[in-house]
Amino acid sequence: MKNIIEVKNFKMAFGDKEVISDLSFEVKQGEIFGLLGANGSGKTTTIRALLGFYKPTGGELLLDGKKYNPEDTQVDIGYLPEERGLYRKESVIDTMVYFGELKGVKEPREWALKYLERVGLLDKANEKVEKLSGGQQQKVQLGLTIMGDPKLLILDEPTKGFDPMNRRLLMEIIEELHAKGTAVIMITHYMDEVEKLCDRALLLKDGVARAYGTIAEIKKEFGGKSLDQIFVEVYGGENE
Amino acid sequence: MNSFTAKVAKFEIIRQLKKPAFWAATLLLPLLIGGIYFISFISTKDVDTNPTLDENTTVAITDDAGVFGPEAPFVINGDKEYGIEMVKNGEVDLYFYIPKDFVENKKAEFYHISEGLDIFNYDGNILKSLLMQDAATRVDELDILALTGGFEIVDNKITKDGEDSNALGKAIIPFAIGILFFMFIALCGNRFLLTVVEEKENRISEMILTSVSPRHLIVGKIIAMLVLGLIQILALAIPVLILVFLNRDNQLMAPIIAMIEIDPLAITLSVILFVVSSVFYAGTCTFVGSLVSTAKDASSFIGPAIIMMVFPLYFIQMFMMSDPSVVVQIMTYFPFTAPIALMLRSGFGTISTVEYLIGILVVAVSSVVMTRLAVVSFQKNAINFGMALPKWLKKERKKR
Repeated sequence: MKNIIEVKNFKMAFGDKEVISDLSFEVKQGEIFGLLGANGSGKTTTIRALLGFYKPTGGELLLDGKKYNPEDTQVDIGYLPEERGLYRKESVIDTMVYFGELKGVKEPREWALKYLERVGLLDKANEKVEKLSGGQQQKVQLGLTIMGDPKLLILDEPTKGFDPMNRRLLMEIIEELHAKGTAVIMITHYMDEVEKLCDRALLLKDGVARAYGTIAEIKKEFGGKSLDQIFVEVYGGENE
Repeated sequence: MNSFTAKVAKFEIIRQLKKPAFWAATLLLPLLIGGIYFISFISTKDVDTNPTLDENTTVAITDDAGVFGPEAPFVINGDKEYGIEMVKNGEVDLYFYIPKDFVENKKAEFYHISEGLDIFNYDGNILKSLLMQDAATRVDELDILALTGGFEIVDNKITKDGEDSNALGKAIIPFAIGILFFMFIALCGNRFLLTVVEEKENRISEMILTSVSPRHLIVGKIIAMLVLGLIQILALAIPVLILVFLNRDNQLMAPIIAMIEIDPLAITLSVILFVVSSVFYAGTCTFVGSLVSTAKDASSFIGPAIIMMVFPLYFIQMFMMSDPSVVVQIMTYFPFTAPIALMLRSGFGTISTVEYLIGILVVAVSSVVMTRLAVVSFQKNAINFGMALPKWLKKERKKR
């Protein structure tokens, strides 16, 4: 399968502090890839470098075979970042239509209304975003991320703050996109989500890859332990 | 226009137009101008400052100075006390007393029944019209013109070649465009700063920058802000033009309107300068906005940004001189002061076309550079949720 992401010998330092050391991995087209690690392990930094927000100190980060160029608006990415936000004073529908237009969705209003109906927010379509609860806003953000069926979906802790019902809904949406051939990178702390959804994963600690491969390969490498146990073993029982 | 830029511009324009605050800011000044005009119109309509005597008003005058001719009506033989008594008794409505020393002191007295403040009563001026009418029976029209100055002087300024120069007439439109630019700076600066802060303040910059490039985003926002600025300027200019049109026969307005000379080259250059200056100002504000992360941080920069642009106004007298000083030359070609400096020199007619074109080129190039800087800075600082300060300044802040 073709690689949609290739990270080769990636190094990243902020001032004198090196946060990523010689990291290499690939994400294949159509797979769900788990990027795992405790807070500060370098997951978000890797994604931000991939998307051009940070300039890497060394190595190469390729997206669809090319270095990501922010000027190239044709790259088909849906990114739900760790830092979440919306235009608070705008209505839900206006925000979604705007993003839909930018992402080239043919009928953004219809798409948005259909999505809002699915996630139970149709009655909030004309509400200002600031009037929505945190969970409702997160659903809107997810909608903006998946608009236009992107080729690559990057979700940084997508279920953070979701109740079990909404987590299940999110899982369904991810699986649907996966079935359409979308590659998904999931940054998460929930190992059950990884075991259930991900084809392969990378476990980072202090910017260094500690485990990498299919879920089965990783488990085998750690003597058949569950991902939860592997996480605890790698971090030596440290608190996150 | 690229479709992404157009989409961003459309979104930004529509969302601003939906805000009541935008319309409040846009219409406040025109409403204020209209209100002041209306009040002054109403008050001047009701109050006649030069009333003439009507049939129902009775007048008596005691002329101790002898300024009226022998045939003058209203002049009585009684003294001042007698005249005042006539008013009190209701025999006459208005009584004037002209004392013996009238020519030296140039003061006459006016008595009439009054209740309340009565501050808008100009009936006293009836004496002036009566005196004029009486004097007109004794002197010819030429003398009246000479004494009253009731004639117009047509000002004909000519060049050394003997052609009509009309420098002031030519300057009116460039100056008006300059005033519009000043209004643009004052009205739109804050919005320019805030437009890029919003993405960072709302933590939406990462999401938006994976949907649209920073170049398209910033250029789209600048275009939107320019369009909105234009709407605000038009909202201000149209009522003013209407008022000018309504008062085109007014004593003050008519000579000014008659003086206006349409110089196509000067007007074209002024409009080009207005456009490039607006883009430069928008680019500057957007660049500054991209360095900060909150509206509060941004608001502290708007003052200095405006001061920089209007700096030449503090040296306005220097711009009137036909031989420009070094300071004027520097301000003419320094990008931040150039817009106003060029507008002033164009208005005062102290700049050649070539110099003016060079100045416009400087501002145009600077506006492109500034817009590019804003794009790069926004991309670089998109996820910097603090203020983008140099390292030494950050260390200083930390120490404190």
